[in-house]
Amino acid sequence: MKIKLEGVTKRFDDVVAVNDFSLEFEEGTLTALLGPSGCGKSTMLNMLSGILPVTEGKIYFDNDDVTDMPPQKRGVGLVFQNYALYPHMSVLDNICFPLEIQKVPKAERIEKAKEMARLVKIEQYLDRKPKELSGGQQQRVAIARALIKNPRLLLLDEPLSNLDARLRLEMREEIRRIQQETKVTTIFVTHDQEEAMSISDKIVLMKDGYLMQVDRPQALYDEPQKLFVANFLGNPPINNLEGKIKDGKFVLADDSASVKVDLKSAVEGEEVVLGIRAESVGVDDDADFEAIIKERFTMGKEELAILKLGNSELRIYLSSDFTHKPGEKVGFKLKNKGVFLFDKKSGERK
Amino acid sequence: MKKRFHFSPKKLLVYLCLIIGAIIMVFPFYWMLVSALKTTAEFNSYPPTWVPENWFNMENFKTAFSKAPFVTYFMNSVIVTISCVIVTGFTTILAAFAFSRLKFKGRDVIFSLLLSLMMVPFEMLVITNYETVTRLQMGDSLIVLIIPFISSIFYTYILRNFFLSIPDSLYYSARIDGASNWKYLWRIMVPIAKPSLVTIMLLNAISCWNSFLWTLLVINSDDFRTLPIGLYAFMTEGGSDFKLQMAASTFTVLPMIILFLFTRKYIVNGVARGGIKG
Amino acid sequence: MSAKTKSGTFNRSFEPWLYLLPFIFGIVVFTLYPVINVVLISFKEGYRLLTGAFDSIGVENYLKVISDPYFINGIKNTAIYVITVVPIATAISLFFANLLNQKIRGIAIFHTAYFLPLVTSATAVGLVWKLMFNGQFGVINYLLGIFNIGPFEWITDPRMNIYTLIIYGIWNMIPFTTILLLSGLQNIDPLYYTAAKVDGASSSKMFFRITVPLLAPTIGLTCVVNTISASKVYGELFPLFNGRPGIARNLYTVVFYIYEKFYVDWDLGSAAAASIILFLIIFVFTMIQLQIQKRWKYY
Repeated sequence: MKIKLEGVTKRFDDVVAVNDFSLEFEEGTLTALLGPSGCGKSTMLNMLSGILPVTEGKIYFDNDDVTDMPPQKRGVGLVFQNYALYPHMSVLDNICFPLEIQKVPKAERIEKAKEMARLVKIEQYLDRKPKELSGGQQQRVAIARALIKNPRLLLLDEPLSNLDARLRLEMREEIRRIQQETKVTTIFVTHDQEEAMSISDKIVLMKDGYLMQVDRPQALYDEPQKLFVANFLGNPPINNLEGKIKDGKFVLADDSASVKVDLKSAVEGEEVVLGIRAESVGVDDDADFEAIIKERFTMGKEELAILKLGNSELRIYLSSDFTHKPGEKVGFKLKNKGVFLFDKKSGERK
Repeated sequence: MKKRFHFSPKKLLVYLCLIIGAIIMVFPFYWMLVSALKTTAEFNSYPPTWVPENWFNMENFKTAFSKAPFVTYFMNSVIVTISCVIVTGFTTILAAFAFSRLKFKGRDVIFSLLLSLMMVPFEMLVITNYETVTRLQMGDSLIVLIIPFISSIFYTYILRNFFLSIPDSLYYSARIDGASNWKYLWRIMVPIAKPSLVTIMLLNAISCWNSFLWTLLVINSDDFRTLPIGLYAFMTEGGSDFKLQMAASTFTVLPMIILFLFTRKYIVNGVARGGIKG
Repeated sequence: MSAKTKSGTFNRSFEPWLYLLPFIFGIVVFTLYPVINVVLISFKEGYRLLTGAFDSIGVENYLKVISDPYFINGIKNTAIYVITVVPIATAISLFFANLLNQKIRGIAIFHTAYFLPLVTSATAVGLVWKLMFNGQFGVINYLLGIFNIGPFEWITDPRMNIYTLIIYGIWNMIPFTTILLLSGLQNIDPLYYTAAKVDGASSSKMFFRITVPLLAPTIGLTCVVNTISASKVYGELFPLFNGRPGIARNLYTVVFYIYEKFYVDWDLGSAAAASIILFLIIFVFTMIQLQIQKRWKYY
């Protein structure tokens, strides 16, 4: 099912939690709503499920306007952050519950529940109570319960946040697998960029209730349209240098150094932020800038260096043939990928 | 080391104090039973005898039962207690649900008004309630014993607090699956709240069973007396034979003691959380 | 769903009221209306049951009540009862609660024994106390006689009646108070005791420097709750003194006075006025209780 938002806005009294969202979620895709806490991503999810009414705008499921439709009629499956399993019911009863409400005959719903249990690989725990399961297993039960009624849309609220690191890796692969097996349109909320990058087809990146950028994960990383997007994605974080354009070059705000860059639409005298990803710097005789090597760290298979550029610092990855020692002054060249200029005031990409 | 049967002097002292305290608290019940089992000669002997000659001497019970219809009293108590627990339980569950889960205009105002009504002693309401049931010509029936107690602010308050501790997500989850409020309440909330509900019902059963003032006021005929009132009437009308009174008393307290032995944890927890009203 | 529903949320505006209907009905008819009505009756002079007729409106009833020697006697006895029973019962309960808080073998049996009076009919228990208090063959006089005390005419000597009531009242109050204090004790973090032990504190030091201060809010609360319930004492009188307030009508309490004005004299105006006075007294204590709860909330 395709989902379309038209100017969706949510206000709580004076606070705007979600501001004028217009976008589409394509059928059969896995989309992440990503952003720091308080960005409105959970509010967005709750409006999609119908738990929260929208203040303005329209929500369409395929061509149906569901804006005023109550949650139970929307045909959505929702997995809560704390799973919301009924503590007094067995795993089987929990999974069956949505069908029990729909008055599906008992034999049939048990049949269906077992099928779901197989899909999420918990068939051996059907008789247990939720509290006898691990976090990952509870998560699987919650997904099975959400899927049993063949939802048109599956919503997951911070599905991995209650799990430990190892289970988190396992469960995100599982969510991807289950989504691909069932082909159900899925939207999940997360604040973890790595989680979003690793499994989703598309990411909706949000901040303070505003839509920042919607794109494929790699595109979001490679072509951020806003400074916030560039900063939010990537580890180690992108290097930010504040300065202005002078004589066709980027000059640091305190005039302590300059960098030769592709200006794009930036004009002389404009105040900008230069974003340089750690992997986007190489050594070359045709140098774009010169910097002193301050320190070198070995981090597993990679090596990281802190460069001193004027009075600012840069963190970059080093190539294996790099031999210079701390204290030396070296000429560096910027690669085409991973170097961006942003307007300092608006944060828009140049 | 702790597991072995080892008495330090300090522990011995604790046990000694515990036993003395236990004797003080339990002795009246022991004395009630023992006096009910004594023969006239035993009963009149002084100094008193501490154990009855025959632990199975049922004479006093037989005589007491022949003098007053204690079986009827017992049945009345059972009927009143069970109906009261069911009816009050029902209104309490519904109201606690509305006050915790549903949103409506004036909810919090009404609730705080109710809480302030909670400190009005029942003794103050008795006059009007007596008038009300007499006007409605409901006097002298078992229904009268139940009807003023169909709504309890206190139990509703306890249950509402428990309902509030159940995460919202369970509600939303069930509602998204299409469960109505009604279905959610009975299928999800009530089962989860079972321990709290059992506690409330036990406390309510105890106070119904032992209810005195209201019953004394509204019941005149022997047919509708409950055990405590029947016992009181037996004391004032049936003569001053202590042995018979003790037999009747034993019969009155026994059902609640048995209930207590099996459900002590629930009752004690309930009392610790809010106390028995009154 | 109806078109009136604003948006995707679940609640229909009338639905909550359906859930509240039975409860609110009971409250309005049997609590709210009586509260209002009793205030009105208290100002109606010569109010007559059922017909609702009355002679005049004024504070006549209140004046009558507060100048009635039986009411004054009731206030006096109730006050004596409260200020003796509550502190003594609290002290004994504090001791019992500490005993019951020990983690030793068989403690569950002791719990059962100590809390038994909670569930038993006051009439039945009162009757056995009357038997135990009996002047000629009562077991209490017998036990006191061993120590060469007494004998006392607990029931038949009017001067002794108040002591009889107090002793029985203390015994009656202990289980409830002990439970509250015990649950207060169990809420004290054992870490404090471990820390004190490391510092080498003796057990009496720990009791007075850790247990008592940390339990102070609970103790305060039980005192107020017990004061409220003790100021409503009356039920104990029925079995002890053959349905009379003391063997020679010497031991009125406030609630017994209300009961008698209402049910024996059918003087509803006076009964209502007296119960309003009782309520005001209880109200003051409830306010104190709320203050205590507020002050010690984050203690």
